[in-house]
Amino acid sequence: MKLEQNSVEDRSGKFRVWLESYGAFIALNIACAAFALADPGTFLTPTNLRTILDQSAVPVIIVCGLTFVILIGSIDLSTEGVLAASSLTFVLLSSNSRNAIDLGIGAFWVALGVGALFGLLSGLLQTRLRIPSFMVSLGLWFIGLGVGTVLYGSDVPVLTSEESRNWVSASNLGVSNAVLLAAFMVAVSWIISGYTRMGRFAYAIGTNEAIARLNSIPVGRYKVLIFVYAGFCISVAAIIASCRLGVGTPDVGSGQLFLTTAAVIVGGTPLSGGRGGILQSVCGVFLLIVISNGLILIGASPITQQAMSGLIIVTAVVLTGYRQRDLLRVVK
Amino acid sequence: MNMESKPLNLIELDRVSKSYNRNLALDDLTIHVKRNEVLGLIGENGAGKSTLLKILGGVHSPDKGMLRVNGKERSFREPNDAAAAGIGIVHQEQSLIENLSVAENISLGSRALAGSKPVVRFGFYRWGTINDEGQKALTHIGSEVSPTEIVSRLSFADKQMVEIAKAVRQATQSGNEPVIILDEPTSVLEKQDIDRLETEVQRLKAIGSVIFVSHRLDEIRRFCDRVYVMRAGRIVAECQASELVDENLFYLMTGRAKLERKPQRRGDANPAIPALQLRGAGCMDHFSDVDLTVEKGEVHVLVGARHSGREELCRALFGLLPFTSGSALVSGTELRGATIRKAISMGIAYLPAERKLEGMVAGLTVAENLLLAHPAEARFGGLLNFRRMKDEAMRWINKLDVRPTAPDLDIGQLSGGNQQKVVLAKWARSPNLRLLLLDTPTRGVDPGAREYINSLIEELCATGVGVLLLADTLDEALAVGHRITVMKDGRISACFQNSAESSPELSEIVKHMI
Repeated sequence: MKLEQNSVEDRSGKFRVWLESYGAFIALNIACAAFALADPGTFLTPTNLRTILDQSAVPVIIVCGLTFVILIGSIDLSTEGVLAASSLTFVLLSSNSRNAIDLGIGAFWVALGVGALFGLLSGLLQTRLRIPSFMVSLGLWFIGLGVGTVLYGSDVPVLTSEESRNWVSASNLGVSNAVLLAAFMVAVSWIISGYTRMGRFAYAIGTNEAIARLNSIPVGRYKVLIFVYAGFCISVAAIIASCRLGVGTPDVGSGQLFLTTAAVIVGGTPLSGGRGGILQSVCGVFLLIVISNGLILIGASPITQQAMSGLIIVTAVVLTGYRQRDLLRVVK
Repeated sequence: MNMESKPLNLIELDRVSKSYNRNLALDDLTIHVKRNEVLGLIGENGAGKSTLLKILGGVHSPDKGMLRVNGKERSFREPNDAAAAGIGIVHQEQSLIENLSVAENISLGSRALAGSKPVVRFGFYRWGTINDEGQKALTHIGSEVSPTEIVSRLSFADKQMVEIAKAVRQATQSGNEPVIILDEPTSVLEKQDIDRLETEVQRLKAIGSVIFVSHRLDEIRRFCDRVYVMRAGRIVAECQASELVDENLFYLMTGRAKLERKPQRRGDANPAIPALQLRGAGCMDHFSDVDLTVEKGEVHVLVGARHSGREELCRALFGLLPFTSGSALVSGTELRGATIRKAISMGIAYLPAERKLEGMVAGLTVAENLLLAHPAEARFGGLLNFRRMKDEAMRWINKLDVRPTAPDLDIGQLSGGNQQKVVLAKWARSPNLRLLLLDTPTRGVDPGAREYINSLIEELCATGVGVLLLADTLDEALAVGHRITVMKDGRISACFQNSAESSPELSEIVKHMI
């Protein structure tokens, strides 16, 4: 009898782990199938699928870093601010309508540096001054926006280099370069998460920081590193987004914070950290993008779309947190 | 000194002191661990054992004094330094990361160790090597756990074996003779696992030394060669394990004489309504057909193996699980669709086994925890009357000898035994207490605190409270219970009277448990 009970527990436990790992992927397939049935003429066309991929490129690149941040149980609210600062830095240092500075490829590096610097600042403030990531990144969000707004000035800096503008949307291999770059970032992040200390320690820290410390893991150092990487990913996204728009603007990232954070959680990485992963987050992004795309195609109002994303997120949080609901656990 | 010969002692601590915010945890401590010896370390909770282990493990560094390993002076800045010197700790609280695999846990934090195949090369994990090394470490100590299994899916005993494998691997990798510290390794193990542990300790003894920390005196006698007794940050006695005598030891550990406790015949219990009466009670597949009576003033002990359903029974009575069949009467009132609030208002109190998780609110002070369930007396209108609260807290602190005597201290900073005293006092304060459910109240608690807890239970019984107690060990059951009921697979399999005149044989009880 005892054995039987154990095996039942075993199976339901395995099922939950399985659901957490593949839930977003399954939901993504269901959503695709549903929209394909509802509107076969438009949803499944190559043009629309390419649109979905293009729309996903920027958030996918952001979640490449953000997933690690959430894995360690932290949160990064500075996404949109860093996007603004990096975007303006990049445009103003490339050939543009405002000034004569043209660092060429150097503009990329400086913009990437700006993102990494924000991440470094965020990480150091948290680990050295022991401020929660929530507060630090909230502050950095507005600092980033401020930097962006100051750089923006009074007239729109337009990217005049045709090369940069065309590069992102050029599609030599069937999909645009932006999508290829996103795929590359996903591959890199996947390797980091499975095969490097930064990735494995992220899981360890997220599961239990005190125990990680007890095992001689330099928790602070890896936290900083993870935030630097997250900032770096955001700048990559900022460059892609700016090239696409052809202008530098502080609201280049508006809406990305909600979309990316939700995608990571929907994917199966709980806010408490320790579980989940990159590929799940990518599925989360696709799921959210597909749903908003599909709802537009079938003519739903923007309000319905928002309500749907909200509903999905709440459902995801309930599902990912379901196995922690036993005992007298307190929810804050 | 002859530099050629190996020093006699593997570890020497010389006049080591350590204090945490003015609390002196170690006071001028001098000990040594010989080569190939199993050293026992006993003392009450709060005697400074944990601090000593933290210093040896490189988690904290001492304020004063010297640490020599194998004759060389050392100072550890982080746990890795200790591992590099050959010291491996099996922590009392598990130090495994639950979401990672067994092999990854074993390799974790071993980056600084030389002399083995690197598990990380060019910054990349080599999963093949990690799994091989994990398998080797597990086979080495005779464990059959799979290295690729996720830790959270292991049983407690298996986790303990993984901990040992990890500690042994880290300590031996340095090439030094390993010193393995086992911090209360047996508190959660079943009998056959303890036997396995003994074999392992003997094997470790052959290649290095072992420091064995335990509350259980019989195990100290069984495992150890030599014993240190600690009290209040000092060594108060050192002797051969075979020379240990219970009475003597108790005095040494606590500084006071042992209270004589024999199971008393309960005084003419109120013949009226029993404190608890269960008729055919059941709860899903946890337990069923339970008929049980707890008289007023009676300590009724429930024994049973894991999954016997006794814990669930307690939780159901406290409104944490629903009764799905049968009936439960508390002092004659039917318990139905119960919630915790209702249970408390009916005079039921519950002391959960997971003290840290469910029994107390770490972060609040001792006084606040005491008044958590029944704040009425300290109320001043809608506000808390802090002075009255403090007075009330002081009363209990003195009564139960909670140390340190500071009602304003965060309860999380107390030692386990003292925390348990506070948690129990919280319920004992209740004016209408009728039924007290105690889930292993003395687990992981030192003998001194155990005495206080037992005498408080006795005192409550005298006022007519019925106690349903889940015993940690059968000895405890025989020592405190008036009646002993055995549960097996969710059903009652036997019930014994236990009094001065007649008490059941251990083997008789065990027979019904399995």
